[in-house]
Amino acid sequence: MGIVLDQLPGCAKPLPGGQFLLTTTDYFIDLGRKYSLWPLTFGLACCAIEMMVAYAGRFDFDRFGVIPRPSPRQADLLLIAGTVTKKMAGPIVEIYHQMPEPRFVVAMGSCANCGGPFHDSYSVLKGVDKIIPVDVYIPGCPPRPEALVYGIMELQKKILKMKIAKGGGATPQQEKGSRDLTGNGSNGGQV
Amino acid sequence: MNKEALIVSEASMHTDTMFLNMGPQHPSTHGVLRLGLTVSGEVIAKAVPDVGYLHRGIEKLMETRTYNQGVVLADRLDYCSAMPNGLAICLAAEKLMAVTAPPRAQALRVLMCELNRIASHLIFMGTYGIDIGALTPFLYAFREREMILDLFEMCCGGRLTYNYMRLGGVSNDIDDNWIAKCREFLEFFKPRVDEYDTLLSFNPIFRSRTQDVGLISAQTAKAWGLSGPNLRGSGVNYDVRKSDPYCGYDRFDFNVPLGQTGSCWDRYYCRVQEMRQSVRIIEAALADIPAGEIMAKGLAKIPKPPAGEAYAHVEASRGDLGVFLASDGNAAPYRLHLRAPCFINLAVLQEILVGNKVADVVAILGSFDIVLGEVDR
Amino acid sequence: MASTKDAALARLLEHLSSAEPAAHPIKDYPTVRLSDPAEITKAAAFLKDELGFDYLEMITAVDWLGPMQLDGLAAARTAAHPFKETPLKADPPVTPAPGAGAAYRPVLDLLWSFGNLRENLKMFLRLEVPRDQAEVASLTALFPAADWQEREAFDLLGVRFLGHPNLTKILTTEDLAGHPLRKDYAHQKDRFDE
Repeated sequence: MGIVLDQLPGCAKPLPGGQFLLTTTDYFIDLGRKYSLWPLTFGLACCAIEMMVAYAGRFDFDRFGVIPRPSPRQADLLLIAGTVTKKMAGPIVEIYHQMPEPRFVVAMGSCANCGGPFHDSYSVLKGVDKIIPVDVYIPGCPPRPEALVYGIMELQKKILKMKIAKGGGATPQQEKGSRDLTGNGSNGGQV
Repeated sequence: MNKEALIVSEASMHTDTMFLNMGPQHPSTHGVLRLGLTVSGEVIAKAVPDVGYLHRGIEKLMETRTYNQGVVLADRLDYCSAMPNGLAICLAAEKLMAVTAPPRAQALRVLMCELNRIASHLIFMGTYGIDIGALTPFLYAFREREMILDLFEMCCGGRLTYNYMRLGGVSNDIDDNWIAKCREFLEFFKPRVDEYDTLLSFNPIFRSRTQDVGLISAQTAKAWGLSGPNLRGSGVNYDVRKSDPYCGYDRFDFNVPLGQTGSCWDRYYCRVQEMRQSVRIIEAALADIPAGEIMAKGLAKIPKPPAGEAYAHVEASRGDLGVFLASDGNAAPYRLHLRAPCFINLAVLQEILVGNKVADVVAILGSFDIVLGEVDR
Repeated sequence: MASTKDAALARLLEHLSSAEPAAHPIKDYPTVRLSDPAEITKAAAFLKDELGFDYLEMITAVDWLGPMQLDGLAAARTAAHPFKETPLKADPPVTPAPGAGAAYRPVLDLLWSFGNLRENLKMFLRLEVPRDQAEVASLTALFPAADWQEREAFDLLGVRFLGHPNLTKILTTEDLAGHPLRKDYAHQKDRFDE
């Protein structure tokens, strides 16, 4: 896939009818991407249990091509399922940067969206979008597995709109860039 | 060349220990636990659990919430079995207010706590199987768990966080339809437990991975303050339901399953047997649910327990969950401390992991059935 | 060995010079209040060795300074929401409720809970230490269970346990200043707060 992404826009454009080819290639690549979303098995809190239920028999995430991977190097979807605390923020940014592009983030549950019932706590981050860009937000405390399935379907719709000619497969959020909180970046890191 | 110069004796060989980081993102830590392992070859020389990655400040937040709002936060402590958490807080506040829940509410509390215990142990069974490498029991366990969640949903609308316990009673009543459904589930579930035995419990591979691994003597278990199946797996007979009965647990006839050696398998099998005992309790409770109210009469909408201190503890799915409550007469607790069983159970890891093989770390850690929401609070 | 809670209480009181039954016990459980911080190790050892209380259940403390300062929390709320949110604890102003041990005073009221599993007994020990010099002997040598619980009390309440082998933060982040469960804790903005 990487070779296709790197080489295809350049070699397809000069061809007669290359524009036509490009559109279908977009569709072709996005179709593959859409149905092979491999999330990282990464449970933070309560929502992780509902995430596990979604993998089990009743809701059967495998139907959507969602197969959990234990390593961020193999994953392309980061499911933030649970409360993100300030102590956990650093590892999450690190895991996010370990994932290969294009990567997607789904914030599952109120805690990952905005802090949820712990929004006024001294140790809870008020939404994971403060540290990494988020593609889909799923509300609920915790969201039902159906809601998670719906969120994944929305992400699939979003993936279908990706164009390799624009930004080489990065989502709009990724083009904006994430706030770097590891202390090395320019717009974050200072206490 | 001198042949003997090539032979390296173990004494002359210089070996270094290695630091191995496990977590906070690791598929087998059941959340965000981090273990700092110092390994000497394959053997663990030092283990330092690092917790706090899910510290949400619940004890502080409780001081800004009313008691019934506090139950909402308590549900998110041990999210695998949320019912007993709220119950402990309600019991402590009820002690201060000298309120007793009506008999029907007490029966419902027992019913829900025991159903939740089964659901929680099923999660344990499924995920522990995955930790060891048996993927199928997960699918079986979650099938049965969904049935329990459907019962909860029928009763109070929640699948995972129920917010069911109220100060002075419970929030929703059950009807005959629910009771029929619950009986149906029990009939379905009873043979399933035997099926788990054939699937996982007495599976030779599973047994060889867990038996004689992670041994905890009764003395060590008591000294480290373990509770719940982790303590009973070592053969110490301590169950809050028996020693300090609440909500009329003394009405029910059930056994406390005990382990022999305190191995991972003993802790595991204690939980499987507890499921059988929970079924017994539920059957007895269903047979005789008192009629009447589900909330104590004469309670204010926002209850304000009088000034004073109280301690209440319940046998949650993971052990002795205690709530120490100091009230100054306001609508919010002045101070609420949670004796979180998982937090105290986890501390023993630094002692028992030493000397074990790296491959057994996951088996030992999994057998403790920790929930990080409760460890870090 | 003590057979009843009254017998255990009587023997403990007899053994300690500075102990007396608490004026406001924790509901339904025998509670002993110590006045001499040096006696806690002696009391715990006696409970463990003589009376069979070999199960340390809980270590915690209460900060009796007064109602909580909502400053840090309220500021966080108004930052999160543009409108001023009234704190949830918006009942009539707190009236100091004297009696039942709830009189506000600048002390940390420490609490230990011991269990005797064989005879099904439970005993609470209380000890008041000044807030600015909250120090007490550690029980880690007697009960390994004290290890993490003392670290937690140190982290969240700022009680220093003398003789603890590794008294470091356990739950909060390294850069969090102060002890969150103290009543005068005001949250200082860190890099994650807006």
